[in-house]
Amino acid sequence: MNYEAVIGLEIHVQLNCPTKMFCDCPNRPGDRPNQNICPICLWLPGALPQLSRNAVEKATLTCLALNCDIQPCSVFDQKVYYYPDLPKGFQLSQFHYPLARNGWLEILGEDEKPKRLRIHEIHMEEDVAKLVHETEGSKRISLVDFNRAGSPLVEIVTEPDMRGPHDAMEFLRALRTQIRYVDTAECSMERGTVRVDANISIRPHGSDEMNTKVEVKNMNSIRHVGDAIAYEIKRQTERVNAGEAIRLHTRLWDPEKEITTPMRGKFSGPCVPDPSVPDVVITESWLNELRSRLPMMPAQKREEFVKQYQLTQEEATLMSAERETAEYFEALAGLCQSPRTAAHWISGQLLPALKDRNQSIAETPITPQRLASLLRMIEAEAVNANAGREVFTLLFESNQSAEEIVAQKGLKQVTDATELEAIAERLIAANPGAVEDFRAGKEKSIGFLVGQAMRASQGKANPKLMREIFLSKLS
Amino acid sequence: MQENLFSYVNASPSSAAAGLLAGKSFLLQPNLSVGGWPCEAGSTALEKYVALEDATIVEKIKNAGATLAGSARMAELGLGLSGDSSARIFSEGKCNVALISDTMGEARVTASLARAFGFKPSWGIISRFGLIGLAPSMECSGIMARTIGDLSATLQVLVGSDRRDPSMLQERLPDGAKVDEPDRVATLGVIRECIDTLPAAESSALRSVFPAMEKSGTAICEVSLPDFKQFRTVHNIVGSVEASSSAGKYDGVRYGHRAENAENWNEMYLRSRAESFGLIMKSYLFQGAYFQFRDYTAFEDACRIRRRLVDTTKAFYKDVDFLLFPTRSAAQNQRSPASIDEMYDAFALTLPANVTGQPSLTVPGLLQCDGVDLGLQLVGAYLDDARLLAFAGRLVDTISDLHQ
Repeated sequence: MNYEAVIGLEIHVQLNCPTKMFCDCPNRPGDRPNQNICPICLWLPGALPQLSRNAVEKATLTCLALNCDIQPCSVFDQKVYYYPDLPKGFQLSQFHYPLARNGWLEILGEDEKPKRLRIHEIHMEEDVAKLVHETEGSKRISLVDFNRAGSPLVEIVTEPDMRGPHDAMEFLRALRTQIRYVDTAECSMERGTVRVDANISIRPHGSDEMNTKVEVKNMNSIRHVGDAIAYEIKRQTERVNAGEAIRLHTRLWDPEKEITTPMRGKFSGPCVPDPSVPDVVITESWLNELRSRLPMMPAQKREEFVKQYQLTQEEATLMSAERETAEYFEALAGLCQSPRTAAHWISGQLLPALKDRNQSIAETPITPQRLASLLRMIEAEAVNANAGREVFTLLFESNQSAEEIVAQKGLKQVTDATELEAIAERLIAANPGAVEDFRAGKEKSIGFLVGQAMRASQGKANPKLMREIFLSKLS
Repeated sequence: MQENLFSYVNASPSSAAAGLLAGKSFLLQPNLSVGGWPCEAGSTALEKYVALEDATIVEKIKNAGATLAGSARMAELGLGLSGDSSARIFSEGKCNVALISDTMGEARVTASLARAFGFKPSWGIISRFGLIGLAPSMECSGIMARTIGDLSATLQVLVGSDRRDPSMLQERLPDGAKVDEPDRVATLGVIRECIDTLPAAESSALRSVFPAMEKSGTAICEVSLPDFKQFRTVHNIVGSVEASSSAGKYDGVRYGHRAENAENWNEMYLRSRAESFGLIMKSYLFQGAYFQFRDYTAFEDACRIRRRLVDTTKAFYKDVDFLLFPTRSAAQNQRSPASIDEMYDAFALTLPANVTGQPSLTVPGLLQCDGVDLGLQLVGAYLDDARLLAFAGRLVDTISDLHQ
């Protein structure tokens, strides 16, 4: 039988708030263990949670970026379970009344057609502490690092609208783009600031039944999410074809072996309203204030780039994919003549170079100003494209401006006709074969002569001009 | 002997601050944080726990000039009065005012045992920061004092919003002291279904107080609340659920008692908690966990009935100024109940105010039965704290005038 997959995601996003969710401790889980702790996040007797306004603000902005309806009143519950990573025996999370409902993101489906994937709800939640398991001699010990306890999270629960690895991966990319635009989270699976659990079931193609799902955890890149889903669909299909029933359970993705393996059933406790955290009441006026602070989102940016800068859809998509890239592009386009040249240099040169050097576009020494001065020289034909790429590489290695590098390395394009004509005459005399070929109708041999001229001028000759000189001399 | 009554005696009880409470000596309980003091809250679960900083209300009374005598002994985590020594210390005249946490009526019943005034303020008008509590929506610090004056002054100092307790009421809070109200006939309501639960001798003792009150210019009327017995059920369910959550932090990982030689963390939890809690507390936590895990619907019902009780009692205050109850029944065992049921029997008359969050005051010397002072309890509308204290002051004055 032909099966289709039904996939929903549960995504925990760590908000980039300066402090934790219920206390003033720095929200820096990676610091030296147990450095960022206080009576509240350690839950010492007598402590009371103080919900951070900034956390509510960033959570709400995130929900707005994901097209959700913000609920006027949401409530924190106690999710009760006992584990050493949970200092008070319950986790504060919005179970019954979440912050937001009914969101969506649009992706391009596998058929290249736009597809809207719905978000069921988004709620606020505090993170738990981190356990480190070690041995002391022969004794196994568990150490608890409370730096992460109380870090602000939002949990995004999607509808089961995804049908395969492509949908899930595109959803996660779109989610990351949206969230990075509003700058409420780093959203890096590799760095653990977003964690994704996938709920996967299969059903006969065309059916609308919902079958028993399996939860898969432990993926630490978007690629792994796709691989884990693909594996799990294959595994379930084989099981069902073999006449076995799918059992509700949780599996872990093993990135080494590229398989999922069952994990011990997690105990799931009740959720009771917390009596100490006040209800989160969001007024329309505050919401309007937040909306007014939303930046232009990627879809609008893309359209703007097409209209204002005459980029193609493809170029505009590339330039708007990340907020920082978009801002860089806008700055660069404003400083040089051709926005399309700017876009090509960003996608063709800058982004790959940054990736090689492990730099972000925000922190690179190649500021839009420095790159613009190079592009202006290319546009003015003061340097040719080859020399331009060499100068670009050198920009990473010094604080000099493009002009200084060109002057120092003598890369300035030679456009002086007398100098170029002298080169041409010399080469015509030295390459009778090529000259013969050209006169016999082999136009290509002019390219050979231009190449020779570039070499003779150490790359500084203006290739366009050189070509014209050869043509006039040989015709 | 006296040493044994205190869990901690303050060796340097001096205070330099001048203020509303200057010269007043305060007795605390070890579930109220004072920086550097042992705060075991009557429980092995908090063995050797020393508070890091002062509770907000401790800071406030210190700043108002109060001196701190020390901490009494108390029932485990403030539930009930088993082993509590506040009443004895107070009766021996060792202090002027005591702060006693009131989860089901502990502060008021203690005051009735000590023949003093005992007050539980409206929920949310004084900070709970630093109070090692058990049932957050039911409890707050209560005040025991010999005079209405001391009580009002203390309340005035304690009232006020606190950044560190965001669950507090954010609107204007009632001022503990100022009441500008003309003398007028006040009406007190007596709940028929409550009187019906009392032993015959105690209900006639209560009725025998009415003539003197009416003579002093107070009207008495009977009101009906068929749901009266639901107060107890609601408190029992909601209180135990909240207690189960609140006590979840006593795991022996970060502080308090930790069992020795456990094989793994799960066993460490189980044994530490088994060794920490007494029988009543264990039953109460089990019961709360039962409602959380096995019968959540019952908990939701209890929350719904609680809202109905709040609304019903609120409606009474359109016709009456205050409700009137005895504080306790001498037929019940407030000191050492053997079961949760017995404990709830013992506090059945005070816990309604914990369920509704309304202010409640016990007045000594007005309601006696067979030579035992039961305490006359007045319950006011939510946030009517100041008027309640003012009325009680006038009532005591006029009745003692009548007696002379």
